[in-house]
Amino acid sequence: MKLRSKWFAGLAAVAAVGVVAGCGTSNSSSSTQNAAPSNSSQQAASVAKVTLTETGSSLLYPLFNAQWIPAYHKLHPDVQMTAASTGSGTGISDAIAGTVDIGASDAYMADAQIQQHPDMLNIPVAISAQQIMYNLPGVKGHLHLSGEVLAEIYEGKIQYWDDAKIKALNPGVKLPHQVIKPVVRSDGSGDTFLFTQYLSKSSAAWNQNYGYGTTISWPGLQTEIGAKGNQGVVAALAKTPYSIGYVGISWLDKAVQQGLGYAALENKAGKYVLPTSATIQAAAQEGVKNVPADERISLIDEPGANSYPIINFEYIIVKDDQPNAAKADALKAFLNWAINPSEGNSAKFLTPVHFLPLPTSVHAKSEAQIEKIKG
Amino acid sequence: MRKVSKVAKAWDRGFRVLAAIGAASPAVFLVSIAAIVLVESIPTIRFMGIHFLTETRWDMGNLYGALTHRNGITAPAGASYGALVFIVGTLLSSIIALVIAVPVSVGTALILAYRVRGPLGFLLNILVELLAGIPSVVIGLWGILVLVPWIANALAPFLKSVLGFIPFFGGQTGTGYSLLASGIVLAMMIVPIITATTRDLLMQVPLLAREGGLGIGMTSWEVVRYIALPYIREGFIGAVALGWGRAMGETMAVLMVSGNATNILPQNLYSPISTMAAFIANQLDSAETDASGMAVHALSELALLLLAITLATNLVARWLVRPRRRGGVVAP
Repeated sequence: MKLRSKWFAGLAAVAAVGVVAGCGTSNSSSSTQNAAPSNSSQQAASVAKVTLTETGSSLLYPLFNAQWIPAYHKLHPDVQMTAASTGSGTGISDAIAGTVDIGASDAYMADAQIQQHPDMLNIPVAISAQQIMYNLPGVKGHLHLSGEVLAEIYEGKIQYWDDAKIKALNPGVKLPHQVIKPVVRSDGSGDTFLFTQYLSKSSAAWNQNYGYGTTISWPGLQTEIGAKGNQGVVAALAKTPYSIGYVGISWLDKAVQQGLGYAALENKAGKYVLPTSATIQAAAQEGVKNVPADERISLIDEPGANSYPIINFEYIIVKDDQPNAAKADALKAFLNWAINPSEGNSAKFLTPVHFLPLPTSVHAKSEAQIEKIKG
Repeated sequence: MRKVSKVAKAWDRGFRVLAAIGAASPAVFLVSIAAIVLVESIPTIRFMGIHFLTETRWDMGNLYGALTHRNGITAPAGASYGALVFIVGTLLSSIIALVIAVPVSVGTALILAYRVRGPLGFLLNILVELLAGIPSVVIGLWGILVLVPWIANALAPFLKSVLGFIPFFGGQTGTGYSLLASGIVLAMMIVPIITATTRDLLMQVPLLAREGGLGIGMTSWEVVRYIALPYIREGFIGAVALGWGRAMGETMAVLMVSGNATNILPQNLYSPISTMAAFIANQLDSAETDASGMAVHALSELALLLLAITLATNLVARWLVRPRRRGGVVAP
């Protein structure tokens, strides 16, 4: 009897290991996403139900979840869409693995990753920007800051607000003799990508020692605060006097309401500009001149007197080889709708999340990339 | 004697299969998780060797640059995975949590077990259990909104002025996002576990022994000190170990108040830190964009280390509470 129960336990253990291992290796992507045509008697309609899944950028999530998906579902009831906010890196790797159809990312894919996965397309769908915010009690108006000064603050070389280098950019502003507390994103983030790219383009030392990425190895500073998500950064800034940090444009209004100021940044022309739709559009107009066919490009620090230096494309990452024609067609139809200036790219959808539409020439390039999707 | 029908036998067999699967699953899960984490971390173990434990610099390298090769492993240029900052952060924050939580828990448990009866006791017991049920993200939010500013403005300057002559209490008082904030938040989360376990242990102390103590003229304190606490000692160590394990594995609340320091060891109680669990949660998303896959392997090794440390804590606690003499209480 005793032997038999041991045998049972052993068998159960082996079975359970098999189940666990099976879960790890099976790729459940395609099986669940394509239901067969609903009813043979309705072949005339012949519209297969298609499910499109999206994961990725938390910045793009409100656009997908609250704006695009409900609107698109009204137009195309046969296409089911789901969205999840997981972070850009997960969106990219899910799209590569084929576990989702659409990966959303604030940063384009790196060359090394594209070489490994040449079938991945990086398609811009909107333009976003980022502002530098600070909590400086008693200082009114917008501080002037440059990429070089920001790099030295984050390196710990500039430690006090009344440092000569900050004073030189802000004549007439009374700056306090207080320790600067830099705030960074602790989680992987497109915002870190943009900010560190701006620092890398402005400061050779930064580029040499720290570089850029969705997460970087920050200089270790006792005064630094690592906060999770844009809301974490805004909370840390609001609760910590004499702090400074970088925040995505969609959080601008909320952060200003909490008493934070934001800086006018030095652009390539040496002018100090605030992030407004005019300055972001101006930078985008400059940036689009150089957009390559695969559309992976940094829009940081564009020339032009009126260009705001920290802007970027928001990307959708998709595979050009889809498992079947129905899915490929549904994906193409949705993406074309999303970048259409009178539909998905209209102000009605983009303004609530503070994005700007794609410039016309980029729209054409995105369309050409969407055409590459095959079933 | 009842005749057993075929149906009843079939049910019995089914029940035994189910029970066997249930009984086997904890072992299966532990072994499969440990195996996957171990296999995933082999490339980093080869790449970093012992330096994984001794270096403070964690750098995923330039993910947008070229790949390099070292020790037969392909990794992004400049990659280096040193986990010392996170090991130190995990150990220090959980130890501070224990220093705060243990006296509070023992006091609360004594009151609950010996002092309060009736509706008040019922209410207090419910409150302790409710505290255990607060989601960690809620405690973290409270930490950001209330605890961190309070530490920056009041507690840290106060501690520095009173205890500043002790090395770890002096120096810059920082931003509030700190080792101290992490320790306090963790203490709040482990107090309910330690309290509930200790209370149950104290209730098992024989009434006769306690009455005997009082009968020979001991004060309440002496009864607790010389009769109750020695009686529950081993079980109590088990309770503390449970709390310690929870404190080291806790992720979200610490992530929100620790300051998530990287590349720098804490200089004092007010320095920002990062723990292994919080760092894994923070970095996994970016790690997945590493074309060489090394960043994910490095986080796996960190997970392996965390698993090993928590298992070791548990084993040491079990060794401490092993039954040694008659009448001792076995750990729950």
